[in-house]
Amino acid sequence: MKGFLGTQASFATDLNLVIQLAMGIALIAGTFLARAKRYKAHGACQASVLILNLVMIAVVMWPHFTTLVLPRIPARLARTSVAVPTVHGILGAVAEMLGLYIVLAAGTDVLPKAWRFTRWKLWMRIEMALWGIVLGTGFGTYLVWYIGPHR
Amino acid sequence: MKKTAIKFVMCAGLLGAAAWGATSHARYSVSAAAAENGATQVKIDNFSFEPKEITVSAGTQVTWVNADDVPHTVVSNDNKFKSKALDTDDRFSFTFAQPGTYEYFCSVHPKMTARVIVK
Repeated sequence: MKGFLGTQASFATDLNLVIQLAMGIALIAGTFLARAKRYKAHGACQASVLILNLVMIAVVMWPHFTTLVLPRIPARLARTSVAVPTVHGILGAVAEMLGLYIVLAAGTDVLPKAWRFTRWKLWMRIEMALWGIVLGTGFGTYLVWYIGPHR
Repeated sequence: MKKTAIKFVMCAGLLGAAAWGATSHARYSVSAAAAENGATQVKIDNFSFEPKEITVSAGTQVTWVNADDVPHTVVSNDNKFKSKALDTDDRFSFTFAQPGTYEYFCSVHPKMTARVIVK
């Protein structure tokens, strides 16, 4: 199914890009909720983004990665079309797992006390910075794969 | 916290501007190569099949070669043939036994379409 952003991408890929940008904006909005001391709303906002991102990973990004990128590693890793999505995939996995850990540690009692961090702000800021890099490399992947010129 | 928020707002703005620029850039129309009747090889280059249309006799084997840096697939609209993801310089061949018009596309880049006419 053809995409709707005027590039070579499919509908699912375009939809994923738009959702990712929207999630980035939602995360920034979430930081302002924390700043306004609306912690419940902040937690709900950031957790929703993480869960939605898990869905997008399962439905769009992971299938693309395993069929189109993974078979080209390590032989073609030097190429932009492989290197950029590989960096995106690795950092994205770290960001998603760190985010889930933060949600579990800060928003629930699921984890034992010894497993929870105490420097909340530091880790949340690291997560936000990481998410920004992942968003950037994700957009880079889109540019290389669906817009070009790539040679 | 304030500095971090400002940095992310700036980052989002830059991403938005890049997205706008990128989609504008992508509105160019890819020029199709002239159809070459009788050709049995189709080159995949710069997000297009070249030639976009070929005419062959029944029983002819057509070979697609990916010259792009990104993977492409060759999938017929009616699922009569389907390649795996073709890496750079990978090939896929299919023999057209029956006359007819076979429309196909790249499943990774669905706007890449072309056809094989078998007589």
